[in-house]
Amino acid sequence: MTTTPEPRDERVPVTVLTGFLGSGKTTLLNRILTENHGLRIAVIENEFGEVGIDDALVLDAEEEIFEMNNGCICCTVRGDLIRILGALMRRREKFDHILIETTGLADPAPVAQTFFMDDEIAAQLRLDAIVTLVDAAHVLQHLDEVKPEGVENEAVEQIAFADRLVLNKTDLADEETLGEVVRRVRTINSGVRIIPAQHAEIDLQQVLDVGAFDLERVLADDPSFLTETEHQHDTTVTSVGIDLPGELDENKLNAWLGTLLRTKGVDIFRSKGILALAGAPKQYVFQGVHMLLDGQFGRDWRDGEERRNRLVFIGRNLDRQALERDFAACLATAGAVA
Amino acid sequence: MSTTVDSGLTVAWDITVDDAPVALSARGDLVAVAGAEGTVRVLDAAMGAEMGALELPSGALSVELAPDAGHLAATGPMGYALWRRKDGRTTVRESGAWSAAAAWADPVGVPPAERSRGWGRVAVASGRRTLVLDADGEELWRTDPAASTVTDLAWMRQGRRLAVAAYGAVHGHERHTPKPVVTYPYVGSHLALAVAPTGKWICSGNQDASIHIWRTRDGSELTMSGYPEKVSRLAFDDTGFWLAADGAPDVTVWDFSGKGPAGTAPRSLRCHETVTALAWRPGNGGHLASGGADGTVALWYATAGRPQQRLSPARELTGDGAGVAALAWAGPHLLIAAYRDGRVRAYGVPSRTAL
Repeated sequence: MTTTPEPRDERVPVTVLTGFLGSGKTTLLNRILTENHGLRIAVIENEFGEVGIDDALVLDAEEEIFEMNNGCICCTVRGDLIRILGALMRRREKFDHILIETTGLADPAPVAQTFFMDDEIAAQLRLDAIVTLVDAAHVLQHLDEVKPEGVENEAVEQIAFADRLVLNKTDLADEETLGEVVRRVRTINSGVRIIPAQHAEIDLQQVLDVGAFDLERVLADDPSFLTETEHQHDTTVTSVGIDLPGELDENKLNAWLGTLLRTKGVDIFRSKGILALAGAPKQYVFQGVHMLLDGQFGRDWRDGEERRNRLVFIGRNLDRQALERDFAACLATAGAVA
Repeated sequence: MSTTVDSGLTVAWDITVDDAPVALSARGDLVAVAGAEGTVRVLDAAMGAEMGALELPSGALSVELAPDAGHLAATGPMGYALWRRKDGRTTVRESGAWSAAAAWADPVGVPPAERSRGWGRVAVASGRRTLVLDADGEELWRTDPAASTVTDLAWMRQGRRLAVAAYGAVHGHERHTPKPVVTYPYVGSHLALAVAPTGKWICSGNQDASIHIWRTRDGSELTMSGYPEKVSRLAFDDTGFWLAADGAPDVTVWDFSGKGPAGTAPRSLRCHETVTALAWRPGNGGHLASGGADGTVALWYATAGRPQQRLSPARELTGDGAGVAALAWAGPHLLIAAYRDGRVRAYGVPSRTAL
């Protein structure tokens, strides 16, 4: 371990709470607000709730999704959040944490992308995690709902984007259903940490300040993120995890990843990885939302540590074989392996 | 009040308000400062003495004094408020709708005999609509809803036409017609609106890090892209020949004289890392004040030199570290600067031709 103190990230963490109506978002929100944690919290609600807590500032917003003219069709941001967060940050009173409660039908992508695309927000706030609540007894029904062509199943999308999944109302579902829910969740998002709960009663440390978008912590807190699940060829949204020893040719990697995100970025909801670049003493860590990618060098490879590459894609219609094959071709020693 | 000197400029007054300023307005003998938590103070421009005050309970976003300095409109995340000078009456309307901006119909250039039409009306953004009110707050008419929350407003044609910016377009409305009489479409999130005093150009600053420009005569369009960040501040000088914009560490100044800025390069004003305020000095001298997140205020001969030239400030005020929240000129000889820590300072600029 290195002992160099890292510069502290002073930006205010923002947690995004998603989940269907009835999944317990408001209950969880109330728990967060009433728990004796001493934090000054601001809440932005897209669903008109009954939340009214003395210690929190609650602001209502109507979802406004704006396209960005940068040649990237999946690059959308939330105009309402840019506005409200901007006004919040100009106040003298400082908040320790901001919670954004989206509607049950919200697409988490524009919310997450707002934190990548707006420099004013990125300078002052950091997206901490997307926390998705599901109602254990009803989520299968939502997942199985057949949507018209071109319309995304929001329940699938919200699970695919989640960094933490609160499996709520476990008391209202039988063992068999719970097992099936976990299996289905893992098929969509293999690495998500599942937190079983009743009445949204959870240890708040599991959902607040978890640093899911922090490159320093991308995979460190999630050793299970590559857990393989049985292949489900009938589901359109899945996770593809790749674990490959060796070192990568940076040029080949850039060309592949660039092309992949440009051509398949619409279908790739989230991606993250820790890579070994040939000649680099440090790990290369990246994470992305659709076409937006954020990467940097992380910690040093330790003496004797095997150089290997671990990455995961969560998305729609992912071609596991092509991803594995094309990624393997980025190895600096690709010729020898083939 | 004692007179001190900062970087060669006299400080006419220096006060601290109990809120974090977000906006300034200066008209006639008054200056108004609005704070993020909704405190609005009306000050005497010469001395900084308090002349009035009002509160927007849910916070403030902008403040605009009427051209005759007899009224004031303040807007905020949950509504708007009006203040009347003669008796200090305050009207607060908590509509629940996001109210980003207000604009008083400006009678500049209107002969006094015709002023009844353009005088004393204020347009106030209210959610996706814009309300046009008389000076005491009575609603005269309102626009139909735009595609998203209205972000900025400007009057054109001596107060006969109202330009409204929202997602996807700038709309032009005429009195008592809820539907737009003209639409300038551009798919993007328009954050700021500037209309040239010549009436020839409409410009919007955009979330996609560009300035979009329409020539009003024929609606022909131009996009200035390549900014590193969103463009949320735009300002034309009094002549309408020069547009200053943020969106980069350098303030860019575009030449809109003649055929406009198509195919030209802007002048770049290098001083701040992040630009937080822009204010042209009244008159035709091309004098600009800019402020930065680091607390610096710079004064520029912004139209000097050649296109594409990088200019240095004529004067730089380093401040105390608190970021500049807003700048406004109370006439050509007094520059008002509001800082994020609550400080509001008036700098005297004595020479008309120099900075």
